Amino acid sequence: MSTKIPIGPFHIGLEEPIYFKIDLEGETVKNVDMINGFVHRGIEYLAMQKNFFQNLILTERVCSLCSNNHPFTYVMAVEKIAGIEVSRRANYLRVVADEVKRIASHMFNLSMLAHLIGFHSLMTQTMEAREIMQDIKESIWGNRMDMSANTISGVKYDLDEGQIEYILKRLDELEPQVDEIIDIYFNHKIVKARTVGVGVLPKEDALRLGVTGPTARGSGVNNDVRVKAPYAAYDELKVNVILEEGGDVHARTKVRWREVKESIRLVREAITNLPEGPVVLDKRPHIPAGEAVTRSEAPRGELIYYLKTNGAQKPERMRWRVPTYMNWEALRVMIPGNKLSDVAVIFNSIDPCISCTER
Amino acid sequence: MSGFLKIAIRNLLKGPVTDPYPFGKTFIPNKLRGKLKVDPKACTACGTCEEVCPSGAIHITKNENVYVHTTWYNTCCFCGNCEFFCPTGAIKLTNDFHTANTEEEKYRFTTVALISEIKCESCGEMFVPASEALLKRAYPNVNDTIRELTKLCPKCRRKKAFERLYQ
Ligand code: SF4
Ligand code: SF4
Repeated sequence: MSTKIPIGPFHIGLEEPIYFKIDLEGETVKNVDMINGFVHRGIEYLAMQKNFFQNLILTERVCSLCSNNHPFTYVMAVEKIAGIEVSRRANYLRVVADEVKRIASHMFNLSMLAHLIGFHSLMTQTMEAREIMQDIKESIWGNRMDMSANTISGVKYDLDEGQIEYILKRLDELEPQVDEIIDIYFNHKIVKARTVGVGVLPKEDALRLGVTGPTARGSGVNNDVRVKAPYAAYDELKVNVILEEGGDVHARTKVRWREVKESIRLVREAITNLPEGPVVLDKRPHIPAGEAVTRSEAPRGELIYYLKTNGAQKPERMRWRVPTYMNWEALRVMIPGNKLSDVAVIFNSIDPCISCTER
Repeated sequence: MSGFLKIAIRNLLKGPVTDPYPFGKTFIPNKLRGKLKVDPKACTACGTCEEVCPSGAIHITKNENVYVHTTWYNTCCFCGNCEFFCPTGAIKLTNDFHTANTEEEKYRFTTVALISEIKCESCGEMFVPASEALLKRAYPNVNDTIRELTKLCPKCRRKKAFERLYQ
């Protein structure tokens, strides 16, 4: 006998406004249909009403967890059109901001996983460790989420000796905590019982659907934009791509944790080898008419910006493709065949960002 | 299990990690972006901040002989764009994050700075002079001749500067 069950659009287990129509047979999901569009905010239209400097902030407000990648990709598009060269120091500083955000974003998603499998003490422990990253963001950039680090032709902040020392000190504090928690996520029997073999996305499907970010890397697809099409200082800093073969929730969890470790290494490397130079150009540039497409690796996957200008102070058209857009379709492969109680866990494992997707 | 047990016992011994705020102290970094402070002496009412503010929180209006620089906190998103782009450094975001206010105060919860015009020494026209901060940005060393020129309105300044060339 089959039953139909609705989950969402506003559901305590989901954390995001989305509606799942689920066909059940016994306890097992047979089919799933997903409907979204509940929080559309019209930001693409708004971006055309604002000038290039206001859009630095507007794009940052698209999503609070990837909030650095949006302005980052946007300024790269503007710089491409205007033919601006960014200094090496500014590029390093951009990487620092980006990797700090990645650590905080991944750890947030991972603690959500602990919450969804009912391991609450693990969730609070992960959140507490993540608080170190929040302190760094507050102390260096002045805000816990929206750092406002990027500007056209460079970055808005600089690091002095004291600040570098502070970041290094806090990272030294974070790393042993991360190691301790990683061990639990990788090996604890409660976590394994709820994640191993759950929500499997085979490699062929990952390739067919073009999924991005840790969702793809958990299925063994190497698509890290930082390596495949290096931008900013990533070609100098040499990112190690993290790949797992399992394709299940556990594999994606592992990818994220190992990426947290990799990002800690990258931040350390970038701030200890900061090149000298200006962080931003003195003169505010004129943005000529033109078109550009740029992409970057957001915590959730590949983020693409398209920008068209006509020589005026405002963009003529701006459009972006966010990582969740691709990962979304993969849920149709991941969810059927699993238990109803696993739906929220699987949904969380693609690190969905409805706020970017429905901008 | 032992891994987590260790953490749990350590946490029990360590006590709560949350701050007792608002009844006690909390961590407030110096760079925290909170309410802003406008220095009317440095501001030249150029309008850059108004232009770059993404949320339209800044309004510069003109009353008789004085520009009123108003920031609305119920609109401001504390992004710091105004501070970054201000050419004279007149705006600074302080680390005062206390922005709770009652609905009644909604339209009074603002920061207001008054930038007054001065009289041109030559023709008597009212205008906003270039501030010291702006001069420092424009000239490598600010001398008295330059300072003298700031007391003249743009028109008279142009005339004077032109005359100087041919003296
Ligand atoms: S605060 Fe700065 S940017 Fe705003 S009007 Fe005054 S000088 Fe111009
Ligand atoms: S901090 Fe941002 S939102 Fe607030 S007044 Fe300045 S530019 Fe506007």
